[in-house]
Amino acid sequence: MASAFLIEGLHKSFGALHAVNDVSLDIEAGQVHSLIGPNGAGKTTLFNCITGFLQPDAGKVFLKGRDVTDLPSHKLVKEGIVRTFQITQVFGELSARENVELAARSREGLNFDFFRKASACRAASEDAEESLEVVGLIEKAHLRPEELGHGDKRVLEVAIGLALNPEVLLLDEPTAGMSRTETERIARLVRQIADRTSVLLVEHDTEVVLSISDTITVMTQGRVIAQGPPEQISRDPQVQDAYLGAVEVGED
Amino acid sequence: MAASPDVENLTPDASRTRSREVATQVLLACSALLVLAVPFLGASPFFITLLTEALIFGIWAMSLDLLVGYTGLVSFGHAASFGFATYAAGIFAMNVSADFFLSTAVAIIAAAAVAFLTGLVVTRLSGIAFAILTLCICQVLFQISVVWRSFTGGLDGLIGVPLPTLFGREVEPGEELYLLTAVSLIVCYLLLRRLVESPFGKTLLAIRANEDRAAAIGIDVRRHKLVILIISWMTGGVAGTLFVFLKAGANPMSLYWIESGNILAITILGGIGTLFGPVIGAIGFIFIRDQVTTMYRAWQFSFGLAFVLAVLFMPSGIGGIAERIWRRLWPARSS
Ligand SMILES: Nc1ncnc2c1ncn2[C@@H]1O[C@H](COP(=O)(O)OP(=O)(O)OP(=O)(O)O)[C@@H](O)[C@H]1O
Ligand SMILES: [Mg+2]
Repeated sequence: MASAFLIEGLHKSFGALHAVNDVSLDIEAGQVHSLIGPNGAGKTTLFNCITGFLQPDAGKVFLKGRDVTDLPSHKLVKEGIVRTFQITQVFGELSARENVELAARSREGLNFDFFRKASACRAASEDAEESLEVVGLIEKAHLRPEELGHGDKRVLEVAIGLALNPEVLLLDEPTAGMSRTETERIARLVRQIADRTSVLLVEHDTEVVLSISDTITVMTQGRVIAQGPPEQISRDPQVQDAYLGAVEVGED
Repeated sequence: MAASPDVENLTPDASRTRSREVATQVLLACSALLVLAVPFLGASPFFITLLTEALIFGIWAMSLDLLVGYTGLVSFGHAASFGFATYAAGIFAMNVSADFFLSTAVAIIAAAAVAFLTGLVVTRLSGIAFAILTLCICQVLFQISVVWRSFTGGLDGLIGVPLPTLFGREVEPGEELYLLTAVSLIVCYLLLRRLVESPFGKTLLAIRANEDRAAAIGIDVRRHKLVILIISWMTGGVAGTLFVFLKAGANPMSLYWIESGNILAITILGGIGTLFGPVIGAIGFIFIRDQVTTMYRAWQFSFGLAFVLAVLFMPSGIGGIAERIWRRLWPARSS
């Protein structure tokens, strides 16, 4: 399979703290690649470096072989690198639909359209509609974020990301603060969207990660300590020590 | 969904929203007609002149609303856009041509150029840093206008700016200048209304809400801020041009920080993010100031106090309250 997204030797320090230390990832097209690790491992910092919100100290990011390391956030989105946020960041004054439409219009290059009415951008509305449909939020599209439950708000983040039609979608703990059932809903969703985009997923629920990932990368203290398919990761003694700890990994 | 969107549009919600939109259009059209009819309703010349000034401030306040209300950029130096244009248009009218369109074009282009240059720096900022830097830039322009006597007339300002001409014919002060101002206000309002409802306008709301989130959906935050700053200054430039013709002169006080404070207060009291609210704020300000300054010396202080109280108890401004009442009259959703 073709490598869709490649990160090579990424470094980011905050003073003396090496938050991201020589991290390399190779994400194949259409795969779910999960990133796991304890709090403070550097997962979000890695996301920030990849998506232009932080400047990495060293390392390269390639999308389909093109070096995109130094592009600003908004250009990376145009290239197809799209992220969601660990802490929900949707536009509070807008309805769910309007949130997604904003993203859809952006993807259609309408951000500098001064003359049309935003509400008359049919194609964008239809794209937004489709994203909301995919994540199962269509019935609640008229509600504003504050009127949505926590789980739906997290799902809205994903819908916004999908509307940008990404090559790679980076999901930073989409299930943060979710109940068991809601987590499973997101897990199914992630698996489902992987046929249109590659996914880099940060997720704490090991059971979910082991069941939906094609590849798993384990980070602690900024470093990658293991990388491979779920079967291999679940058996890795170093991973069990450092991260999985007492978690039951399953018999087979 | 597979169903045709046209069928969906016939839901009760949509038709109610539609009827509110039509009602809003009718209300706006009536307001515009009323504004245009004032000279024919037997208003006194004094009233006409005062209302001309009020409408000019209305255009200027709308230009600030683009920054404060729609983009969340609070400028403490918006006198710069207006004051700079009074000089640009005034000097042009005195030395080259008093043609209204030419003078306006010169003021708009000059304002856009200054907005672009200062914007390269200020658009890197937001919040209080943006506010302070815009204040500083305005003070610099004020100092230049005072010191560069040969060009700006120093503290006396420009004196003897001719009346504007329109298609080669001189515009008479009073009613004709009023009508010119009223038409300018209506044109600016319609263009800006279009702007804030456009895809570009919606990106401004995103930037106001959360710059990082806006960037994460592919919005070039700095460029959008730069463009809206330029549009805001250009609109302020229209106001400045009309003002220099109304006063037949320009004065450094138009660039003074107190003017920046006034227009900010007018915009906020009027109701940010509504466009029409700041116009109402401007009309109220000009007329109350006229009533009060003649008998009351502490006017500026009382206006400041009124402003603080209003922000505390009426944060959405006149326009915000009016919109809420309007929505209640035309509810979008049943029950
Ligand atoms: N902007 C910053 N300045 C200084 N230190 C930071 C900054 N951002 C993150 N850090 C530090 O870098 C380390 C990695 O943080 P990061 O947020 O990337 O971890 P994480 O793996 O996402 O953790 P979590 O699972 O809690 O979200 C932490 O020690 C954090 O305190
Ligand atoms: Mg994190």
